Amino acid sequence: MAGDFQNLMMGLGIALQPYNITVAIIGLVLGIIVGVLPGLGGANGVAILIPVVVTMPATTGVILLSSIYWGALYGGSITSILFNIPGEPWSVATTFDGYPMAKGGRPGKALVLSFLAHGFGAVLGVVMLTFFAPIIAEFALKFGPAEIFAVMMLTFSAFVGLGGTSPLKTMASILFGFILAAVGMDIVSGQLRMTFGIVDLMGGFNFIVAVIGLFGLGEIFLTVEEGLNLEGISAKVGLKDIREGMREILRYPKALIMGSIIGCWMGLKPGGATPASFMAYGFCKQSYSNKSEFGKGASAGIIAPEAAAHGAGTSATLPMITLGIPGSPTMAVIMGGLMIFGLQPGPMLFKEHADFVWGLIASCWIGNFLGFFLVLAFAPIFAAVLKIRFAIIMPIIVYVCAIGAYAVNNRMIDVYYMLIFGVLGYLFKKLNYPIAPMVLALVLGDMAEQAMRQALIIGHGSPLIFFQPPLALPIMVAALIIFFWPLVSPAIRKLRATPTQASVKTS
Amino acid sequence: MRKADLFVSLLFLFVGTIVLVDSVRLGFKWGMAGPESGFFPFYLAVGMILCAILVLLNVAAQYRKEGADRRLIPKGALKPILWVLIPATAMVALTELVGLHLAAALYLAFYMRAVGQTRWVATILVSLLVPLSLYIAFDKLFLVPLPQGLWGARLIPF
Repeated sequence: MAGDFQNLMMGLGIALQPYNITVAIIGLVLGIIVGVLPGLGGANGVAILIPVVVTMPATTGVILLSSIYWGALYGGSITSILFNIPGEPWSVATTFDGYPMAKGGRPGKALVLSFLAHGFGAVLGVVMLTFFAPIIAEFALKFGPAEIFAVMMLTFSAFVGLGGTSPLKTMASILFGFILAAVGMDIVSGQLRMTFGIVDLMGGFNFIVAVIGLFGLGEIFLTVEEGLNLEGISAKVGLKDIREGMREILRYPKALIMGSIIGCWMGLKPGGATPASFMAYGFCKQSYSNKSEFGKGASAGIIAPEAAAHGAGTSATLPMITLGIPGSPTMAVIMGGLMIFGLQPGPMLFKEHADFVWGLIASCWIGNFLGFFLVLAFAPIFAAVLKIRFAIIMPIIVYVCAIGAYAVNNRMIDVYYMLIFGVLGYLFKKLNYPIAPMVLALVLGDMAEQAMRQALIIGHGSPLIFFQPPLALPIMVAALIIFFWPLVSPAIRKLRATPTQASVKTS
Repeated sequence: MRKADLFVSLLFLFVGTIVLVDSVRLGFKWGMAGPESGFFPFYLAVGMILCAILVLLNVAAQYRKEGADRRLIPKGALKPILWVLIPATAMVALTELVGLHLAAALYLAFYMRAVGQTRWVATILVSLLVPLSLYIAFDKLFLVPLPQGLWGARLIPF
């Protein structure tokens, strides 16, 4: 424990270097802007800057990328509250009560409540990160290929079983992502897979291009479809609002704590900030007696989802650096960035690159802390970005996306892929095919296949290797249970319902 | 929307089939030193085909019961979407000729004028300043070489 504290101090020393702080602030500002704009989401925004970041030292680069994420987490709320337009998918739940409160004449208070909740969620997330990361990393050192593969299966079955959308479609999304990852040259045998003689396909599909297309262009198509009326409420955040907000938030400790805990928990499982915010809103609504106030500007209705979203975002770092499993789509992109730097996320990272890991953890503390003040002070300015006519912003976003797509590998074909992924992203979103697991499968695809191959070789071709105690077995069992949960849980409910129905009939 | 649902599941069925064919070509059994190249894709494809068929059956059953459901693209939304997609595609194609920044400048100007009906002054300002600043930022500062196209180097001599 004391050793960890020392490590954190070392990390702070790295994170507090002027260069790194400057980069963090730039990242935060970019992130808040990205959070405010539709079409440039957290995942997308990070993806576009990855080719730029590779010129920097690894620690600084990842600080920049993650600061964008923290900024986007804070920024998405601004447009949700002032414009009723969620700037990010995880800010949708904020529109339910944030916008009504703003319309009711208290936009400043809504903003302050939201940012305070974000800050609290962030603190909980980063505390969890700091204390649990070394423990989990130690534990994960015992993981062999079979365990790694099992954890990935657990990850994906959580999407299928607990995702909320059609399990079949989720499965199809995941498989599609894995297939996309497999296109190109097979590392082990050197053979070309699924290229059908087309030279352009030899390079395979890069996840950055897919993210920019699916999340970026797809989001733009969706935004454009709904029309371009961006009438916003102007708000200034004054000291009075801040004082009122602070007093108000103390009146709803349950919403704050419940939201943060739900968020941190959901951030560990992949899925990230978006499902966390919805879940927290739903839970909170159920547990407060004034349910009818929700949807009309209830303070708890803002506090819970915001705390959850930010808690999930920060705690998503934990499984990413310890196990190599990103806890949210944006974290998946950041992890991809890490891999480009040659840093393999996982337990070895703690051993071999301790300075990097602790520098990152320390910058999570600093970034979220700074971000809170930035967004509190400058919220109206960031909101003004949306006052720029959409007809001007939209083509600029497409332009920036094209730059991002090209810069990955200096290939024009990637920009065409981006367009195709954009149309696919639009189709998938409309037809309820979840995109997050698809992106995760694309990022993890090669790693998953490698782990599976190695495990099978160790097990001499028998799939039983994945069910070996002591570590792989419980993970796989959990994965199977969660995977089949959509079939299991209605069956359980039916079993419980029939006796009570019978007793009602007899009475 | 059901028709689009059917279309996408047919698409997945198609993808699964071609991956299956290719993994059979690569070999999907146990090779000399481990699973062959096509092992992983084979099972992926099998899973994909299964999922696609199941989704297809589900959607077909619902279609028979309830009809086509809502439209995929709401009324009047197709035009703005195409106004985004087609000029963007044109910009990408144009990039191969004149380079990204020049194509983007034209794209910005076109979109702002045609869709946004922005005033000429604003249009020209933005479509010159934004590509210029991004050019300086990416090509010069970050040293990320962006496409210049066939004629771009001659049209812009810096």
